[in-house]
This record gives sequence, structure tokens and C-alpha cells, in this order.
Amino acid sequence: MVTDAVVMEDVSVVYEGERIAAIHQVDLEIPSGQFVTVLGPNGAGKTTLLEAINGLLPSTSGRVKVLGFDLATEGREVRKRTGYVIQNFALDPLDPFLCRDVVMMARAARIGTLRFPDEGDWDKVDQALEAVCMTAFAGRPVGKLSGGEFQKVLLARAMAQEPDLLLLDEPFANLDIDARREALRLLERWREDQDITVVMVSHDISKVPRACDRIVVIDKGRIVMDGPRNEVLASEDLTRLFGAWGDGDE
Amino acid sequence: MAMSELVYGLLFTSMVAVILAGFVCSTAGVYVVRMNLTALGFTMSHAAFAGAAFAIWRGFNPTVGALIFAVATALILGPVAEKARLKADVMLGFLFSLLMAMGFMFLNFAPGEAASSVALSIIWGSIFTVSAADALALAVLATVVVLFTVGFHKEIMATLFNRKLAESTGVHTRAIYYSVLFLTGLAVAFSLELVGGLLVFALIINPASTAYQFSNDMKQIIWMSPIIGIVTSMVGFVISWVTDLPTGSTIIIVSAITLAVAIAISPKRKRGGLKGAIPQAAVQ
Repeated sequence: MVTDAVVMEDVSVVYEGERIAAIHQVDLEIPSGQFVTVLGPNGAGKTTLLEAINGLLPSTSGRVKVLGFDLATEGREVRKRTGYVIQNFALDPLDPFLCRDVVMMARAARIGTLRFPDEGDWDKVDQALEAVCMTAFAGRPVGKLSGGEFQKVLLARAMAQEPDLLLLDEPFANLDIDARREALRLLERWREDQDITVVMVSHDISKVPRACDRIVVIDKGRIVMDGPRNEVLASEDLTRLFGAWGDGDE
Repeated sequence: MAMSELVYGLLFTSMVAVILAGFVCSTAGVYVVRMNLTALGFTMSHAAFAGAAFAIWRGFNPTVGALIFAVATALILGPVAEKARLKADVMLGFLFSLLMAMGFMFLNFAPGEAASSVALSIIWGSIFTVSAADALALAVLATVVVLFTVGFHKEIMATLFNRKLAESTGVHTRAIYYSVLFLTGLAVAFSLELVGGLLVFALIINPASTAYQFSNDMKQIIWMSPIIGIVTSMVGFVISWVTDLPTGSTIIIVSAITLAVAIAISPKRKRGGLKGAIPQAAVQ
């Protein structure tokens, strides 16, 4: 059993053609099973941090270890075990992919090269769709879904992958209040059933889930606060920061 | 051997080659269209033309020349297109004219060859230059395309849907991307003498674009496109044989008309989509 799901040591990411680091000298340790919310304004480096964790963005300096694997040499092993719910997915109404197939895609690497999905794999897909109340949409093309419906499909996709680490990038941004509550309940149930680690990104202080154990606040690419949920939310520093970001009244 | 046997032998070889070219090009087309590699593929087909012209000038097999130029283009431009460092219209505007100019220049360097049947076939295509070895090469390529499509179906589907999402789950999307480029280069090079360097890319784009008009399911599109490719190629081939029109041009005109009709009658572009409008409550 790996005690720390994520270990980042002095990690910086500089985008190609840029001089300023999107995240700068980040040190972060996330124990297995913890639910962490990364809070920060737009452009603070939250998505960069998530993608530095699953290796979609290679770090310019520093060292990242995820689920016991060194990201620099075993990135693909990390990604096989890491679910990622992406932000701002641009759907084309003519996209020729059915919901059930999109969810199955998450299992592709897990099933293995030159092997085909078996009945068990399809069962996992159907269970995940059922969990997000999208069974009726299984055979529909994703291009015909609303933003909220598609967000649920992305959640189902991440569930079907059966990850040990779940990265959520503003996962509830397109959901209405009911759908958001439903998704959060689902997430909590999921965490109860399987001891997964969750790292969720949000720019909205009012949308930090109650189930979250810890809040990491990031600003201008640096971690500026890190502590238990209630402690950070009660902090005057956070109020001051959110006032500065113009988000304090939400 | 009687004259009629020679003619039928040639006809059979050509027909097999046309079917195989229709199959490999239209299957590669599904991936090329979905992965937005149209500009790169178009450039590769003209690189193949320049390569074949170079081979005629230097006195070696035009298919080998086409293959080298097409694959080299894929290897050089693949990484550039992958990171969207070069806009598609820049790639087309700059390289299309350059490669065409190079092709005609190479043919000009081969005095007496420029008007030969081989030279004309790499420009406009000809069934009379297709040998049994060419048909065999296409058969081997068709087998590779089938093995790739079936063996890596999951990875291909994930990559076609969204490369970043696929990569985030551990799929080796770069391998899929370069396999598609490589197979497209091979399809273009092996079909060049049959359809011609100026037209071969239409054989990749048209059947796949036609299939996209009729289905919302990528699994269906993957098998529909080759069927459309084979049928339109065969129809074009038969019309050209009966009417003595140029084969490549006839095949491309048939596939272009098919695409135009498909766009006009596409159920995806009508209100209600493929299955007609249904009340929201029906899917709740």
C-alpha cells in the first residue's frame, strides 16, 4: 500500500515559448485516500498542477511521484491508474461517438494492447452510466448531449476506469444545483466503496464540497495556503485573497 | 497466350488493384478526416507525386520514390502538425506548390520520359501501368490496415474521440498518430499510379466524408467508409473501361458525386437527426 498518492518536490512547469512558470517550485504531498480541493483564481495554475500530476504536462524541473511510480519514467502506468475529468471539453454536435463507447474508452489502456473488452468490461461501463443516471443515454451520440449531461458521461468514464487517483478539473461547472448535489453524493459514495484519492480543482470558494479533507490554495503558480478544509475556509487570509480575486461575493 | 487472355489478365489485375486501393485509402481516410490531418495528408500525396517523378528521372521504381517522399514528409511534418506549430493553410499554400513544382521539374529533367505512359500515370493515373506486384503490395497493405484497425480498435477509438483524454488514461496516442500517418503515406504511394498524384488524396477524403454523413457511430463509419470506397472505385473503374475515359479521373468524379449527394441527403443535417425528433421525456 502506497502511503502517499502524490509527492511533488520542487516542481515547476514552464510552457513552451513562455518565460514565466505556470507553477513554480511546488512541494505537495497528498496521502492516499485524501480528498483535496485546489482553490485559486483563473490562470493561477490549477489545471497545470493537475496535468503535472498525471504527466500530461511534463515538469520543467523537480520530481513527481504518483501512486508509487516515478512520473518521469513510468508516466503511462500512472495515467492507467488515474482518472481525469477534463475542463471545458468542446463537443461538436456531429461527433460520431456513442456515450457507451466514450465511457469504454477509459478502459482501453487497462484492458491492454491487442485485447478486446469482455463482458466484465461492458458491465463496468453500464454500472458507471447507471451510477450517473445516464443509462437511457448509453446509445446516444455524445454530440447531442447538453453540457451537464456530457459532464456526467465524463464522470462515468472516470469511474469505469476504476482509478486509484481521481483528478477533477472544475467538474461541476456545467451542472445545475440538483445535478451538482447528485454528482457530489455519487463521488462520496464512490470514495466510501473504494479508497480513492481525489484532487479537485475549483475557482469558486462556495463550491468546495463538504466531503473535502483539505484545501490547497494556489495563486500565480505558487501554493499560498494549505490546510484542513474548515481551517482554510475560516482563514482571514483566504477572505483577503478571494477579495483580491474578485470572487469573494459568490 | 491469346490477346484476349492478356487483356482479361490486365483487367483482372487492375480491378483487384482498384478494389484494394479503394479499401486502404478510404479506411485511412476515416482516421485522416477525424484527426484533422487533411492538410498533412494532402501534402503527403503531392510529396508522393514529386517522389515518383524523382524516381522516373533517376531511373528507379516510381512507387519506391513515392513511398520515400511520402513517408519522409510524414516524419518531417508529423511533429510540426502534431503540436499545431504550422497552420494547415500555410502548409498547403507553401508545400503544395513547391512539391508540384518539384514533381514537374523532375519530369522535365528526364527528357523523353515526360510524355511516357509511366510519367503520365503518376500525374493522372492509369490502369495499364499496374502490375501484379503492385496489386500484391496493395494486398499486403490492406492486410496491415485490417490488422491495425482490428488489433488497436480501442486505442484508435479513444484517440479519434479526443487525444488528450485518451493520453490521460494511458493510451499511447503518439503511436496511433504516427501509424495513421505512415499507413496514409503507404496508401497514397501504392495507389499513385492507379489514380494519379493529382487525384489520389480525393480517394482518401471522399469515401470517409461520405460515411460521416450517414452515421453517428464511429464503429459504423469505420466499416462503411471502405465499402463506399470500394463501390465508388469499382463504379468509376467500370465506367472508365466502358467509355475509355481516364480511370483516376472517373473514379474521383464518381466518389465526389457520391459525397455531394450524401451531403445533400444526410440525415445528420436534418432536424431530428438520424432517428427523427423524439420528446425529451422519452429519454429521461
